Amino acid sequence: MASASGEQTSAEYIQHHLTNLVCGKTPDGWTCDHNAVDQMGFWAFHVDSLGWSIFLGLVFVGLFRLGVPKLSTEAPSGIQNFVEMCIEFVNDNVQSIFTSAKNNLIGPMALTVLVWVFLMNLMDLVPVDYLPTLAGQVAEATGMVENSKDAYFKVVPTTDPNITLGMALAVFVLIIFYSIKIKGLKGFLAELTLHPFGKWMMPVNLVLEGVNLIAKPISLGLRLFGNLYAGEMIFILIALMLTFSSISIGLLGVGLHLIWALFHILILALQAFIFMVLTIVYLAMAHETEDH
Amino acid sequence: MNINATLLGQTLAFVIFVAICWKYVWPPIIAIMEEREKRIADGLEAAKKADDSLEEAQLAFDQEMNKAKAEAAEILEKANSRASQIVNDATEKAEVEAEKILSSASKTIENDVNKAKEELRQKMSELIIDTSEKILGDEISPEKHQELLKKAAAEL
Repeated sequence: MASASGEQTSAEYIQHHLTNLVCGKTPDGWTCDHNAVDQMGFWAFHVDSLGWSIFLGLVFVGLFRLGVPKLSTEAPSGIQNFVEMCIEFVNDNVQSIFTSAKNNLIGPMALTVLVWVFLMNLMDLVPVDYLPTLAGQVAEATGMVENSKDAYFKVVPTTDPNITLGMALAVFVLIIFYSIKIKGLKGFLAELTLHPFGKWMMPVNLVLEGVNLIAKPISLGLRLFGNLYAGEMIFILIALMLTFSSISIGLLGVGLHLIWALFHILILALQAFIFMVLTIVYLAMAHETEDH
Repeated sequence: MNINATLLGQTLAFVIFVAICWKYVWPPIIAIMEEREKRIADGLEAAKKADDSLEEAQLAFDQEMNKAKAEAAEILEKANSRASQIVNDATEKAEVEAEKILSSASKTIENDVNKAKEELRQKMSELIIDTSEKILGDEISPEKHQELLKKAAAEL
């Protein structure tokens, strides 16, 4: 099973599944050539992650906007029922966390986070080889690569830290924006420097509160990434069992895949929900004006 | 795990999708839901009002009914007493009338009896005198006859 012969080793199989399709800027200009990835600096895009992410975002918007052709105040049916259920669920969560402050951006944002992240997580249930193989065949057929094995395609966007941290970054910016908007720049700085030890310990306070502040987006993004990455990893390992020539191992793999997929449905929904709730909670904290 | 511009791309996508949701997805659905909520609340309110007014109407109906019943009872009582009065009056009148008739009848009878008695006396006297004449064979003078008649009548 040497890689030179075109056969993949287990490590290569796993590695292949964990590698993104990258397009980026090299000293020679923009390219999507996998061999040039090392020369790309910061200006590189994971086309697969971003593509799926945007596609699923459009699915979300399409479902919630176009899926309900004519909104009716009568008893809702079909998609409108589902859409209203989601919105009511999100709204209840927002209102239970945002008790005093009012902000009409939070609801839509929480809804977007919940549904979008859930859809991205849901891609994890598509058997790990389907879409990458399809993409490889397409790439080979169109002449983009010589061998379909050279085409890299990672499907689940939330197993890409760039995606989860990207959303966390947006939330982080909003936290700072609303902190300053509600408390004023002075109030925000006071919150960072005057707690918990009083003004004579300002540097210590700043370090503590700074860590506290930075930890929010990092933990938000890495929690989602970690859970989904681990889940994806297990799917890949189970799928690896199917590449062995033994039938019994293959059958065991099918059984394990089924069990893990069923269990994973829970994780997918739960992680989307946690991401949403934490987003709401962090923004609610940014709106709190009372002194500690 | 390499962080690159994908992160910024996702941040941008996030901002755009949140904005779309904020502007185009959330408001119409929330508006519809609030409108429905309002309609349901209104409906419940209306139902409650209808219930109240029904209760009121029932109360008014009961009052009217009681009043009508009392009135009817009163009228009935009046009619009853009036009827019994009429009956009493009629009875009284009838009694009086009966008495009158009775007394006039008895008077008539008495008169008739007297008359009959008188006639009987007359006839009797005549019969006696006639008989006496036949027995005596003697004609009694008309004066005597008359005298005898009178005497007999008086004696009988």
